[in-house]
Amino acid sequence: MIETILMLFGDAVMVFGALGILRFPDVYTRLHAATKCDTGGAMSIILALILIMDAPAVVRAKFLVLAFLIAMINPMVSHAIARGAYKYGVKPKVVVDMYAWDNP
Amino acid sequence: MAQEGLLVSAFYVLVFTAMLITYRVVKGPTLPDRIVGLNTITTKVVVIIAVVSVIRGEYYLVDLAIVLLMVNAVGGLILAKYMERRSHD
Repeated sequence: MIETILMLFGDAVMVFGALGILRFPDVYTRLHAATKCDTGGAMSIILALILIMDAPAVVRAKFLVLAFLIAMINPMVSHAIARGAYKYGVKPKVVVDMYAWDNP
Repeated sequence: MAQEGLLVSAFYVLVFTAMLITYRVVKGPTLPDRIVGLNTITTKVVVIIAVVSVIRGEYYLVDLAIVLLMVNAVGGLILAKYMERRSHD
């Protein structure tokens, strides 16, 4: 029962993240939708897979390692892309730009 | 059984979202938009490989998913560094 709830939650989060990437107006808001929804949905779906399958404990440990690596790597890469996009010259469409205050 | 239908429906939902984000990769206005789309699609492909591994019962595919995730990390960092040093006009 709990694995069904986790799997449906992950599917809904993935669909809403894709809609955010399609509809948001800026690189940084798209990156926000992409990294948050993608990390949460992927970890939820992999936890549901661990609860569903009948396999030895080594395979479950491998799936746990995969979820941990997704939680570590995905925010790191999105942070690097945001920093590179600002240095590349894409200005955010906001009123207050606090990154420009700290780094003139 | 019910669990099999749940896994197959999750597979189709993931493929559908990857095809939605392909629009952002093809028609992104700038270079960082395309990189965001590629990074998201690669994470979705990792989850698709894990789901297929549970459906088929061939659990060696999980190692392939872990290796693809690490390659995604290195490629994303290299693309970010490339954007950082190549500032356009």
